[in-house]
Amino acid sequence: MMGITEDKKKIYDDIIALLAATLEVSPEEIPDDIGVDSGLPFDSLQLYEFVIDLEEKYNIKISDEALDGIKDIGDIVDLVAALSGKEG
Amino acid sequence: MPRDEELMSEALVRIFENVVLTEEKSLQAGYFSDLSIAEMHTLTAIGPYEARTMTKTAEDLGITTGTLTVAIDRLVKKGYVIRQRDTKDKRVVRISLTRNGKLACRMNSKFHRVLAKHILEGYGPEDREHILKLVSEVDTYIEEQLKRYDNTEDVRKTAREVAQGVKNKEKA
Repeated sequence: MMGITEDKKKIYDDIIALLAATLEVSPEEIPDDIGVDSGLPFDSLQLYEFVIDLEEKYNIKISDEALDGIKDIGDIVDLVAALSGKEG
Repeated sequence: MPRDEELMSEALVRIFENVVLTEEKSLQAGYFSDLSIAEMHTLTAIGPYEARTMTKTAEDLGITTGTLTVAIDRLVKKGYVIRQRDTKDKRVVRISLTRNGKLACRMNSKFHRVLAKHILEGYGPEDREHILKLVSEVDTYIEEQLKRYDNTEDVRKTAREVAQGVKNKEKA
């Protein structure tokens, strides 16, 4: 996680916590190697559960069009940073 | 060309019926099998974000607030909708979606998007642009027809216009 802003690090940590909640596992059970390049381990219902939680936490709206461009956790971090004005 | 008109007419009716039927079957087979199509459309009209008033939502759905109230009662019981009085104006009732309601709404949008994606995926950019233009023209035309019947007064007006047209022709 070198070279990223504090805000993005915070978003990344929140995402890992929400990911664990969505998958109904503890954050410790999320594999250590999951990082900004890891794909998303969701089915479509879980993806929307995760998105709704993220929208509520950051008070943002994530459109389906924006979701189309998401390939990994790094993309979500960037999207949330952009939508919540914490990009930098 | 009567054959063209026949094909168009049959296709229009079939598309409408089959989209609704496919949506209904996918609902029954999916996570939200306790929702009817009409209920799902009510959730979509409320939308996953800001709370909306009963009046505006009923207007968007083209139903009376009385009919909407019955539907909302059911959706509140099923755990998809929250109903609250406005904090400033107690006469105004606002409705919003629960987490489950938001999930259902977004999954349904996804169903429609996937359908559209699969219809378009076999075409190149130029064909897509052409198809979307034609579909949009059909959509606009049917929308205009619907507006003519939006309320009884307009229907009367249309009937008067038709009658006037006939009279004018007779005079000519």
